[in-house]
Amino acid sequence: MTTGISLVRENAESMQPPRTLWVSFPLGRPLGKPDDAAFQHRVIDAALKLLRAPSGPVLADFPEDAPPAGLNDAPACPVSFSKPTEDNDSWNAALRAELQTLVPWHDLGKRRRAGRSLVGVSGYSMTENIEKLGTLLDNETLPIAELKWFKSAIEDAKVFYLEALTAQPGRYNQEQLERLFWHETALGTAILKFNKMFTAHAELSYMSRIIVPRTVLT
Amino acid sequence: MVRLIDLPKYEREHLMSKVQPPLGPMVWTHLNREIAELRIALITTAGLHFRDAPGFEFIDSTFRPISGSEDADNLVMSHSSVNFDKVGFTEDVNLVFPIDRFRELEADGKIGSLAEIHYSFMGAGLNPEAYVTSASQVAGLLKQDKVDAVFLTPV
Repeated sequence: MTTGISLVRENAESMQPPRTLWVSFPLGRPLGKPDDAAFQHRVIDAALKLLRAPSGPVLADFPEDAPPAGLNDAPACPVSFSKPTEDNDSWNAALRAELQTLVPWHDLGKRRRAGRSLVGVSGYSMTENIEKLGTLLDNETLPIAELKWFKSAIEDAKVFYLEALTAQPGRYNQEQLERLFWHETALGTAILKFNKMFTAHAELSYMSRIIVPRTVLT
Repeated sequence: MVRLIDLPKYEREHLMSKVQPPLGPMVWTHLNREIAELRIALITTAGLHFRDAPGFEFIDSTFRPISGSEDADNLVMSHSSVNFDKVGFTEDVNLVFPIDRFRELEADGKIGSLAEIHYSFMGAGLNPEAYVTSASQVAGLLKQDKVDAVFLTPV
């Protein structure tokens, strides 16, 4: 038998799994709030109780909204990002310089999380990935033969930035982090440039949709 | 929060495009004992795997086993979608894969036991029918592990 969580009520309504607890939390947060065991237990208990239902399908609503993801008055980012200008810096140099400003913060965050980091899916170091991404942009080239590496390198880099930014004083909420990353960092600008290059490619335009969120493109 | 009415039109339309009819006649299994006696496995569609396991492809209907005895802090995520928050998972694996919470339930005697192996799929880019083969394989593996109930989490 199964029980579980749904983040989109309409999907559970239509597919009718035997037992589903709908939660009103943001996508990516099915248990509601990180590092809040009591809240997570309330979600789990509500879903496990559905196992006792005499008949189904059962679609129950969890009565609580998730607590806020961060402070609303988060400070401006203390790290000044410098995007490459048209004629001065190369992408390679700009991305490497930006990475260096974030390394100490990433190290700090990693120590706070007892060494935990999600970076590393690509199998290459951040420096290797950043230099290669920068060189591709400097040459205005797409990594056509290395799409899997490209996607994982971008994900690694984004996670590295987010892990570094969340280690800085003050707390950014999710919206602030997204805005900071996509509008104030050289890496965000670089990925948007890749997005445009992929969009213009006749056979690889689908790649543009899996490197930049819809919220940024609309 | 994910109330469709609160989302931008493009996001609402995308999520509504995932609305599908039931996969077939509903299978219903009655609970014939206490939850405190059940052996439970976790299954996530978050594209999780241990760092040294192969990552998921852009679209991928395979699954990855997640040993219950390994440190879940070594899990990474190679989900192909960029349209959900990954920051929370960087802070706490239990936000997506509540393994520590279930270990606490087991220790407190609120569930019978935890499965030896849990499972991870990557839910993006494919319709449910594409997962029939791998889901059937996992069902067989769960039976071998004498699992009574599965706790499903999306991302």
